[in-house]
Amino acid sequence: MQDANQLSGDLEFQRGIGQQGSSPHEVPSLPVGQWLRKNLFSNWGNSLLTLLGSFLALLALRGVLNFVFSENREWDAVRTNLRALMTLSYPESQYIRVWVSLGFVAGLAGLSAGLWANWGGVSVKRLSTWLMGSGGLLAVCVIVREPSVILGSDGKVVRTVDGSPQRESFLDAMVDRSSWWIAAAVLLALGTLLWGRFTSPDRRGVEVSVTSVVFVSLGLALLSLWVAPYGHYAFISETKSYVAESGRTVAFSTKLPWTVMLALLCGFFYLGRILRRSDYAGIIKGASNLLWLISPLTLFWVVLRDPALDYGHVMSTDLPMGLAFGFLGGAVLWSLTRPGVGEAGRLVATMLLGFAIFNWVAAFFGWYPMLQKARISFLLLAIAALLAPNFIGEIAKRRQLVLSWLGVTALVHYLATMINTPSTVELQSSEFLGGLGLTLFVALIVVLLSFPLGVLLALGRTSKFPIFRMLSTSYIEVIRGVPLISVLIFFSVMVPLFLPDGMELAELAAVLTGYTLFSAAYLAENVRGGLQSITKGQYEAADAIGLTAAQRTGFIVLPQALTVSIPQLVGQVISTFKETSLLAIIGLFDFLRVANSVIPAQSEFLGVKREGILLVAMIYFFFNFTISKYSQRLERRVGLGER
Amino acid sequence: MWRLLATLFALALAASACGGSDSSDDSSASSSSSDAEETEVTLAASGESLLDTIKSRGTLNCGVSGSAVAFSELQADGSMAGFDADYCRVVAAAILGDANKVNFVSLTAAERFTAVQTGDVDLLMRNTTWTQSRDSEVGMDFGPTTYYDGQQLMGRESDGFSGSSQVSDIGGSVICTSAGTTTEKNIADAAAEAGVVIELQTFEDFDTVTNNFISGACDIITTDGSALVGRKAQQQPDTENWVIFPATPISKEPLGPTYGQNDSAFADAVNWAVYATIIADEKGLDSSNVDMMLTSGDTETIRLLGGEGELQSGMGLPADAFYQVISQVGNYDEIYSRNLNPVGLSREGSANAAWTAGGLVYAPPAR
Repeated sequence: MQDANQLSGDLEFQRGIGQQGSSPHEVPSLPVGQWLRKNLFSNWGNSLLTLLGSFLALLALRGVLNFVFSENREWDAVRTNLRALMTLSYPESQYIRVWVSLGFVAGLAGLSAGLWANWGGVSVKRLSTWLMGSGGLLAVCVIVREPSVILGSDGKVVRTVDGSPQRESFLDAMVDRSSWWIAAAVLLALGTLLWGRFTSPDRRGVEVSVTSVVFVSLGLALLSLWVAPYGHYAFISETKSYVAESGRTVAFSTKLPWTVMLALLCGFFYLGRILRRSDYAGIIKGASNLLWLISPLTLFWVVLRDPALDYGHVMSTDLPMGLAFGFLGGAVLWSLTRPGVGEAGRLVATMLLGFAIFNWVAAFFGWYPMLQKARISFLLLAIAALLAPNFIGEIAKRRQLVLSWLGVTALVHYLATMINTPSTVELQSSEFLGGLGLTLFVALIVVLLSFPLGVLLALGRTSKFPIFRMLSTSYIEVIRGVPLISVLIFFSVMVPLFLPDGMELAELAAVLTGYTLFSAAYLAENVRGGLQSITKGQYEAADAIGLTAAQRTGFIVLPQALTVSIPQLVGQVISTFKETSLLAIIGLFDFLRVANSVIPAQSEFLGVKREGILLVAMIYFFFNFTISKYSQRLERRVGLGER
Repeated sequence: MWRLLATLFALALAASACGGSDSSDDSSASSSSSDAEETEVTLAASGESLLDTIKSRGTLNCGVSGSAVAFSELQADGSMAGFDADYCRVVAAAILGDANKVNFVSLTAAERFTAVQTGDVDLLMRNTTWTQSRDSEVGMDFGPTTYYDGQQLMGRESDGFSGSSQVSDIGGSVICTSAGTTTEKNIADAAAEAGVVIELQTFEDFDTVTNNFISGACDIITTDGSALVGRKAQQQPDTENWVIFPATPISKEPLGPTYGQNDSAFADAVNWAVYATIIADEKGLDSSNVDMMLTSGDTETIRLLGGEGELQSGMGLPADAFYQVISQVGNYDEIYSRNLNPVGLSREGSANAAWTAGGLVYAPPAR
């Protein structure tokens, strides 16, 4: 990378600066008047377009504001149902589990950001334009919104003769909105102040780090929870009544946990920063990646479900079985990696694979009973045995394989035991988790699991071996030829019919499997696009310096291919996240379904649908916009699109 | 080499042996907590009654709509509330002695009967109309009707409609309803019979239908009377007056518990749990005075509450089954007023009044 920078011309050199923070495309700034004339009013056609565009934008803004602040909106429906929107029926008494899970994710996110992130800085000048921009926008919003309706002494809208509501005069409206004026003025003043102090040529380059901007904004948002009177809204189960007290700050059970979340995020971020420079940075980075893979499953099935372990069963069956697989399997792998094991090793591995596959066939015909865990473990052992020839040789390498095997076995057996144990959380309906929690969980799991699968499929499709190529190609084409809804319905309705007696697949697990397989096929095509951009010379160079096929793929081909396909991969992540709303069709209560059909069916809020849907849209936008922005930064950092 | 094979063989044996001991409850890698129980249900469907299965399982799986206003609605805290939800609790209180031992399963109209047939739910309380074809071809059995509903129309007073309007008055109007339901066919038939020409528009769900009515795109909307009353109570603007007509609905929609056919023991338990709430209403027995009436009531009351016991025990229920029903959930009138009065549905003068007050709600005697 660095070498390439020095070789190429001006543009590349600028990118070098870009990595330290300032945007590579920064143009020398003009005075405001000149800038406007140059960009927006350069000729009469351009001026007309500018005026027309701003008029349409104002109209749209006015429409949105009037909709949001209309006297017909019942925002109470959303406020009292916030918990239902987030987790649906998860019981309040056990809610600490939700916060623990969220806190773990917040801590892990902070740690990863601290370990990896290189977000650079943003110039104070730019920050000041943001402040001025938001202040100006706020002022425009205050002006364009139509005046509020007048409420009579009975709390009802006062109406004119023809039935339309009577509105206060424009002047009164502006006076009523004085607090918004003040906010806009403060933002504008702050922006102007910063602008004035940081435009001189010597201070133009002054920057603050993006991290501190992010943390300060998050902190301010959190602070507003403690001081701003957002209102206190709750649903009291005992009396089945909705309590709405405006003028108070939000409930203590909301603001305290969020404060802890932010503290965890910041704390672990700075911990990550410190660890990054330590000698163990590599190990810790690996561990945090591993935690990302394990934690969604663990948090969902262990922390949120709180399985009621039957220790008798654990001691008599689960533990001995796990130990048997761990140590006997370890012994098998140890002997398979002996130097000079030769063809016998390959033979044993193939036989193991045959046996593992036969177990699954037998399961479908119900020939002999066997624990599902055992079937999975045999399959894993067969895969490990097939990989064993790569580890033949020194003791250290052999030990590495056996230790990994022990770790994988422990994890698989632990999770399988936990998943099979009934939950102790008392639910009020059959839906264990719903709302945004379900949406995020499904999206996260699907993205995490489909990524490795997709990369393998892409490699398979571009492989030299016809059998891998045919299998991957037919898999990808079959899945891509079928709509996601069909795949979901197939896994939720059809697959249980094919399973043998006594073997069941929970709805959520079925859906996760189907969605992962679907997403992997699309991901594979994105990665293949990247693979095709790697020139033949790269392969030849790798071969020339004597790399094995695995080394060539891992160190030369994939890093470049994945870098190239970042935009498509991020697009895939975003669409995976958004398409989780299709889960509603097979009966799961995702985020959108709660807003679309649960809230409008409550007798208190009959038919109140638009408010919830607007909120859902905003939250989807927030997540997707963040992902998108982050990926743009990533693209800039790796220099994508500048080659 | 041979040593290796021997190790493998021993390993396989060990695993199979472990598997043999408890394959039924552990054979799935990613199953939910209730899987073991679900397996049992499918087995049970062949021989013993669902009643015993429910008792050994300890919860009642009750299929509801989850989005039927005042009948079964999912609350902000995730609990299920409404008339149908309370009747699920009635059955749970009778069979298990605890009204909270209900696992509510939200079902769409399309999947409800399949859910009963596959054993996913024991019972439907999902505003399901009792019809001949469902009773015979679909393979359901129906319990006593808990709510007599019927399709009606709702128009604006300003358009000249009143409570005494008839279907013959709606000629030339735009009539809206939700797509894919029998309401569409009913109104078309009724209009054809009355000899009037109407323009029928259908929308995806009834929220959209109501919004189009409010915006003026529809002159009249039609669905079950109970839903129309709720919409009028909640969504009628200050400036308008909506009226519901005709007084005699254009269709009969008796709603009540629905279960799989040919399971007499379970059917009896459900039916008599419902009857108990109706008899209690007749006798003036409610959740507040049930303890007192246990000793001071008339013979039938004491028999119903389990004073003599053999009636309930004979049908496989605990002797105090109906005492638990009345004390934990209440009688018919309590359940009705708790859930349906707030949305503007009153019992007086409707088909849902007691038979002594000119309604249709009637129960056979408990003796």
